[in-house]
Amino acid sequence: MNFNIISAITRKDLIDAIRHRYLLTALVTPLFVALLFRVMLPSMDGGKFLTLVVHDAGSSGLVAMLRETPKVDVVQAASADATAKEIETRKAIGGVVVPANFDADMTAGKQPELTVYVNHEKTPFEQAAFRQLLDRMVRVFSKQPEPARLVWVDIGKGANDQPAARVSLDQILLPLLLILTFGMTGAFIVPLLIVEEKEKRTLDFLLSSPASLKEILAGKALTGMVYTLLIAGLLLGLNRAAVRNWPLTFLTVVVGLLFVVAVGLVVGSLLKNTMQVNTWASIVLMVLLAPSVPSLGISRWFDTVMRFIPTYYLSEALKLSMAGTVSSKLWTHLAVLLGCTIVVFFVAVWALKRRG
Amino acid sequence: MKAIEVENLSRSFNSLRAVDNISFSVEAGEIFGFLGHNGAGKTTTIRVLSGQLLPDSGHGRVAGCDIVTEQHRLKPLIGVVSEHQNLYERMSGRENLEFAARLYGQEPRRIDAVLELVALLDRAKDKVQNYSNGMKQRLVIARSILHRPQIIFLDEPTRGLDPVVGREIRRLITDMSKQGVTIFLTTHYMEEADQLCDRVAFLSEGRIVALDTPNKLKTAHGANQVNVTLDNGESISIALDGPDAGEQLRQLVNDGHVRTLHSAEATLEEVFIQLAGRRLAE
Repeated sequence: MNFNIISAITRKDLIDAIRHRYLLTALVTPLFVALLFRVMLPSMDGGKFLTLVVHDAGSSGLVAMLRETPKVDVVQAASADATAKEIETRKAIGGVVVPANFDADMTAGKQPELTVYVNHEKTPFEQAAFRQLLDRMVRVFSKQPEPARLVWVDIGKGANDQPAARVSLDQILLPLLLILTFGMTGAFIVPLLIVEEKEKRTLDFLLSSPASLKEILAGKALTGMVYTLLIAGLLLGLNRAAVRNWPLTFLTVVVGLLFVVAVGLVVGSLLKNTMQVNTWASIVLMVLLAPSVPSLGISRWFDTVMRFIPTYYLSEALKLSMAGTVSSKLWTHLAVLLGCTIVVFFVAVWALKRRG
Repeated sequence: MKAIEVENLSRSFNSLRAVDNISFSVEAGEIFGFLGHNGAGKTTTIRVLSGQLLPDSGHGRVAGCDIVTEQHRLKPLIGVVSEHQNLYERMSGRENLEFAARLYGQEPRRIDAVLELVALLDRAKDKVQNYSNGMKQRLVIARSILHRPQIIFLDEPTRGLDPVVGREIRRLITDMSKQGVTIFLTTHYMEEADQLCDRVAFLSEGRIVALDTPNKLKTAHGANQVNVTLDNGESISIALDGPDAGEQLRQLVNDGHVRTLHSAEATLEEVFIQLAGRRLAE
């Protein structure tokens, strides 16, 4: 393989892609969706007020900080026991019971316990936003990686039905947006780059030039990878507070990228024109994207079915690596994903040989 | 020295035998015409010889390279002008050539030279989608000669172009040939083949049915006669191989009644119809 030829094809495609209406749309869609989420969903920076009930036994600096946070309305509860009732009465998103010696224990590095109530009558996104807010505030207040033991207590209707929903907003949205970015690469970007060369007969020119079919496809794959890394990097950068382990997250992103590029090569090899890509890509995208949804805990049946789609393992691996959880589960997810990537690459080779 | 040597070459698509056991050779510096109906196998032959397709059977050497085992050596030595104007339309003319230069490992300064050669230097920065058909065709030719190939395959280079642009393209082909480049040309236009080609091959249903110089083909397959038009409008045809043909002609000229006198050799198209059974345009 000649790297000069591969880089020439990648360079051409990188410039040409931003002049291509469909490709440009596919590239900016994840960023647009991210922006939409930021505008529409409640978060620390969001436009809605979060009402929060607090019982503060010892005038904690954490509560003072919460009171100063814009868009957060803090209400005092009479006692620790009355906090849950007060949350339901005021229809608040949740509440916090801060023990009397909280600040002192934390300074001493004792990791004091903080009871946090989450109201399940609110939407999963509001709950996630609240979890994220509190998690961040405690971290900022203590300036330590593991400052306090947060004890989450679910209250309100449906609290017992959705035990799996204990996730922060970032843990739902960021993997979803990253998989949307990956999905766009696998379903639209790489297939369109290949199919357009067939449709416009420029593939004939490439094949009569010193470029081999392998080099042409490597160039296309590299273009997809560059653009996807750029968009994924932007998304992670904008939500950098949610990433606790950058090397691990980068590793997961690269493994995910290899998988979707292989999917893109298969789709691009099998389809003949842009219209076919537009028709099939939406289906491919939905399949790739679906496994990032179960974190909302829609149903156990749905969750089981999703395990047959490789992006389920990517979604789970992203959550774990972003949270900095180095566990055997993470390595298993990455191994499954790598295995799927190898299989899909073999399918791509078969599809291309069949075309030849 | 042979630029192209083909021996018993065949290529099928499923049950369709597009190229059927053809053999021919082309001398270096020659303009070789490959003529046939749509679907006769001309484009398939070009695609096999230029390394875009593998043959099912037979052998071929182009610029001294085996078309199956030495494609990496072959491709930098050839240029291909496809029957489609396969350019990157969203890119400018210059960007198209810059991309080709990178693929072929050429210096960018060569780009200006070829743009000037095809009279596109002043429109080099315009997007190709804004070019006329003639300009696109000139750019495709510029791209094919950018890396100074030894052999150029031209697949219907003047199809759909107006006569002026067609003449301009023919001039470019002649110029390339004068510089020693071997030209392998397919065309629908018999006059074009007659005018440009040193030798032509007629292809019908994947097989070569005739191969020779245009003159020899016309002589071998045309009628050997002259047509005489007299002052009174009467036309007379005289077979030159008849016993008293010379006497007949002399008599008419001496009488002073001859208005025009034409040899009636066959056109290349008539020869093609004789050999392939139908007109080239059908």
